[in-house]
Amino acid sequence: MGQLSAKNVSVAFAGLKALSSVTLDITPGHISGLIGPNGAGKTTLVNVLTGFQMPTEGAVELDGHSLDRLKPHQVRRRGIARTFQGGRLFRDLAVIDNLEVTGVGLGMSRRSAVAEAAAMLDWIGISALGDRIAGTLPYTDERRVAIGRALMGQPAYILLDEPAAGMSSHEAGDLSALIRRIARERGCGVLLIEHNVGLVLGLCDHIVVLDSGAVIEEGTPAAIRDSEKVRHAYMGTAVDTDLPVLEALQ
Amino acid sequence: MTTATVSPLPADLLSSRKPAPFSLARRTIMTPVLLSLLILAIAGLTVLSGSKPFNQAVIDVFVRVTLVVGLYIFIGNSGVLSFGHIGFTCMGAYAAAWLTINPIMKKSALPGLPQWLLETRLPYWQSAFLAALFAGVAALVFGRVLMRLSGIAASIATFAMLAMINTIYSNWEDVTGATSSVVGIPIVRTIWPYVGAAIISIFIAWGHAISRAGLALRAARDEPTAAAASGVDIPRARLVAFTISGAVMGLGGALMAHSIGVVTPDTFYLGLTFITLSMLVVGGMGSLSGAVIGVVLLSALIQALRWLEAGVAIGSTTFGLPKGLQEIALGVIMIVILALRPAGLIGNREITSFRRSSRKQSSQQ
Repeated sequence: MGQLSAKNVSVAFAGLKALSSVTLDITPGHISGLIGPNGAGKTTLVNVLTGFQMPTEGAVELDGHSLDRLKPHQVRRRGIARTFQGGRLFRDLAVIDNLEVTGVGLGMSRRSAVAEAAAMLDWIGISALGDRIAGTLPYTDERRVAIGRALMGQPAYILLDEPAAGMSSHEAGDLSALIRRIARERGCGVLLIEHNVGLVLGLCDHIVVLDSGAVIEEGTPAAIRDSEKVRHAYMGTAVDTDLPVLEALQ
Repeated sequence: MTTATVSPLPADLLSSRKPAPFSLARRTIMTPVLLSLLILAIAGLTVLSGSKPFNQAVIDVFVRVTLVVGLYIFIGNSGVLSFGHIGFTCMGAYAAAWLTINPIMKKSALPGLPQWLLETRLPYWQSAFLAALFAGVAALVFGRVLMRLSGIAASIATFAMLAMINTIYSNWEDVTGATSSVVGIPIVRTIWPYVGAAIISIFIAWGHAISRAGLALRAARDEPTAAAASGVDIPRARLVAFTISGAVMGLGGALMAHSIGVVTPDTFYLGLTFITLSMLVVGGMGSLSGAVIGVVLLSALIQALRWLEAGVAIGSTTFGLPKGLQEIALGVIMIVILALRPAGLIGNREITSFRRSSRKQSSQQ
């Protein structure tokens, strides 16, 4: 089975180490979680995996082949998709056009791209939003459109950067169901980066915990829930903001 | 290694959703049609008026429509402000001169031209086509380097390109006549070739806007990071627009040469850059309709100011405005419009006969 892997990846910004020898694997059809306190290096790792950040040391490999020196659009064309914190939709374009951009970016004709975009909106359950201008959408719909945009062209891997931020527990439940379907029905390897630790513990097959740029723990949700190191990492930072995290870890 | 995965969804899922052929073209075609009708209406009224000065003034308007639509193709879709496109107009104008001046005149005025070019004399429409091609190829060559840049660096680099082109054309005496006027270009006084060029440029801009490259470029203009993550090769999308717009600017340059019959490098420098950019900004940088309407409105204003500068006789006294007022007025109007409507008069919208689809169309174009 193929795999997307970060192998001993380190990133330094002007002497400050954002990532220290991080190794992580994502497998098609599985949901992996990446958690850690603010500033742990989660988004930096996603940027490395998707070509937005060159690692200072180490490598990113897809099925054993290095992705070094590939630009972000070339990484995407190899089937590695991502979403961003805050959605980053093309705000002046209609929702269906947002999805169509990925289609044409991957080399489809506009006609095939719009057909796949319409089918994708159907699959996610947001067909009614197709003609809406993306900039007018509520926050939660923005997230679902961003996921639909990333799923265009049947990527083998999707990296979701804080997709549940700002969602109510009910909305986060709907999102969980969607992420499960992405892995099961589409066979996509999912990397879920999320502050909602309860969501990650409930969804993921395997979880990696980062703190200060280094992997401090990894394993099954049960192992992460029981880990003293993880609890200590969250308690050692902003205790107030991470109270829900600690509750999820109880 | 996993290759690009662009396999569509299952056929049964797609078939129920497959849009009708050319549906996007049908949904958006009214914009270029209505703009073309506007051009034709102005041309018809001009012919009916029978006034030669008015005919010349309207020819100037149509040349500017071609130029500003050429600017829109790149600036409007990419969001990168280019100060260098008039360089392609210069190249188109001189190419038209090289291809249409009487060979005897060319041999004395431009002896450095290659022999085959010295002996060539083509009809104006053939020279205009070749001038557009020449400028398009030049834009492709310059664009290969420039389109890797973004933001202010790209804008400054395009300005440097304009300065380079101007310097070459101002100093290569045997080929361009340096700063001297190149005369003897056949003047085309009938309005219809200019109407045709303006309409062709409008349809080229529309065709680019509804193309894959056009959609990808507008997405990259709004969210470059997300566009790259969607598989969009941003420098390539920009290069496509830069090349097409360069060719349209070259076409405009050839027409300009045939409308005035004489070219000098300074005709195609900062003054023309300022006026054409003003028209685009005033109309609305993100709209094809804005590009055309900006030209028509500002050209009308410039013409009115010219008449006022020349002086208006009231009784035995002639009242005239100070010379240079038109440039000042243009600057003031641009500042006022930018302050009140930063996206220009038309904004990002397009004119269309279907009100219901106007919002959707603005997203498509």
